[in-house]
Amino acid sequence: MAHASARRDPARARERTLLALAAPALIVLAVLFVWPLIRLLSMSVEGGTLAQFEKAALDELYVAVLWDSLEIALIVTVICLVLAYPVAMWIVQAGRLGFILGMFFLLLPFWTSVLVRTYAWMVLLGRNGIINRMLRDWGWIEFPLPLLHNLLGVLIGIVHVMLPYMVIPIYAALLRIDPDLKRAAEGLGAPAWRTFLRVTLPLSLPGVFAGSALVFVITLGFFITPALLGGGRVVMIATLIEQQVREFLDWNFAAALATVLLVVTLAIYALLGRLTGGQGHAAR
Amino acid sequence: MSIRMTRRAALGAGLAAATLPMPAIGQGNAPKPDRIVVNASGGAMANLFRRTYNAEFEKRHGIRVVDTSPVDFGKLRAMVESGNVEWTVTELGGQDFVRAKQMNLLEPLDLSILDLSRYPEAVRDTHVFPSSVYSTVMAYRTDVFPNGSHPKSWAEFWDVRRFPGPRSLRNHPVDNLEFALLADGVAKDKIYPIDMDRAFAKLDQIRQHVTVWWTTGAQPAQLLVDREVVLASGWNGRFFDVANKGAPVSIEWSGGSAKQNAFGIPRGCKHPYWANQFLQVMTTPQLQAVYATELAYPGLHPDTVNYVEEKVRPHLPTTPANLEKQFWLGVDWWTENGQKAQEAWNRWMLRRG
Repeated sequence: MAHASARRDPARARERTLLALAAPALIVLAVLFVWPLIRLLSMSVEGGTLAQFEKAALDELYVAVLWDSLEIALIVTVICLVLAYPVAMWIVQAGRLGFILGMFFLLLPFWTSVLVRTYAWMVLLGRNGIINRMLRDWGWIEFPLPLLHNLLGVLIGIVHVMLPYMVIPIYAALLRIDPDLKRAAEGLGAPAWRTFLRVTLPLSLPGVFAGSALVFVITLGFFITPALLGGGRVVMIATLIEQQVREFLDWNFAAALATVLLVVTLAIYALLGRLTGGQGHAAR
Repeated sequence: MSIRMTRRAALGAGLAAATLPMPAIGQGNAPKPDRIVVNASGGAMANLFRRTYNAEFEKRHGIRVVDTSPVDFGKLRAMVESGNVEWTVTELGGQDFVRAKQMNLLEPLDLSILDLSRYPEAVRDTHVFPSSVYSTVMAYRTDVFPNGSHPKSWAEFWDVRRFPGPRSLRNHPVDNLEFALLADGVAKDKIYPIDMDRAFAKLDQIRQHVTVWWTTGAQPAQLLVDREVVLASGWNGRFFDVANKGAPVSIEWSGGSAKQNAFGIPRGCKHPYWANQFLQVMTTPQLQAVYATELAYPGLHPDTVNYVEEKVRPHLPTTPANLEKQFWLGVDWWTENGQKAQEAWNRWMLRRG
């Protein structure tokens, strides 16, 4: 008993110290994020009416666009996951040089503005773009492939931007896995695929969850990439919010749209957390 | 220290402009801030601004001009409403200037400092400075349509059998509804009030031939250069620019949608006196001519055209031969109906097929 409380006290003191250290960041968050968020929410019900919400949540235009945005975010998340997992595994196993090379190529695009990268994709994917011209010169195709100004172009552009957000959390999770666990599985006669399915994959799920949540949520907020690579045909909810904010100054309606988006995002986030969080815990 | 000085100078300038009835006295006594902030479109335009208006203002008054971008209506409202007005003057995008004035976001212009007496009566305003004219026009690939075989009206732009090939229009109802009505046979002076049902019905016919609905001003010119499309609508200066650089692109002025670019002084601006002085510098015909020669966006001072290089004159939207082929965008209609039209446009864009 006495032993236990003696151990708890320094722990509590450390907790206090950590809280004190985190305080500046928490205050900054409260002032610059939580307060504006509250203002935003209150703006959506300005005048004591729910009319803005009625329009945002029931009008088929906004519902359809929100649905499309969720669909795009989901597809991007799945593609990123499929592409990112092997890359993360490779970086973990490739040693020092692999780590440096992998991270370099992964983070390189981060230093270029999204707008520039989007224009670069337009040069590559266009009807007379580099890819189509190459394929035609080789005689593989007769007519240019529609790679741009449609959903495909949008997906390519967003996946390119979002990939690092998926690789890095998975990489971190894989790195934390004790190599002895894998050796033990192999020692007990498990083939490589079973070791992966029963040991590596479950233990990396927190990273998968973190990466997926990041990619999904950030993708929902994209607007310049879909506008440029979608040729105007792919509309995402952020585009409509931006229109209301900047073009029509209808901030009450924009706030309602943003609130609906926030609620939907949080709901999905909670659902994802319950699904993968539960499994990750059980595996431990 | 420097912040305190600036604030005091700001207050001084504000007081001087607000209380002194005689501009001559104001000019003599208005304390100078060490800098003013001019917010306008970035890119090539910012560069030219620095070389012309900003440089002249700095030379004339010894006050540094800091330029910022982009033009942002939402930010303007946020600045004015929070009372923290960072911009001394700002460009007002598209047709926003009418609403900016209606929503009381602008200081009145001080016409004792800013001399607009030689400007055309129609563009003079109490709050909005008309800086230049631009036009949304049709442009085409000269190698696809050589020797004047290109579409010469929006009706012909719509005629995909006689003029085949992918097209690009802006992803926005402004101009497009007008173009659709013109294509449908409506006379230039009968466009407003816009019959939206009729316009969208006409747009239905061209819809599948428009491969790109463009978003940024640089896009349509680039799409023509890359041969992604053979016909496009866009701002005349952008096409002028690529044509100057040797691209096989040319403008058809018929049915162009002319409009003015505007500048204003945000309400609560810290140096309204110097804001008016800056706008006054912008009225200088010789400087407007430099701007027009390089970007094909002429200012509205009647003498400007005399200083524009001869070979550029046929490419200006205000050249009489060009102007008579175009119509003036109905700013009032768009101020009233813009949001409704945008929503209808979004719905129309989202319809599958």
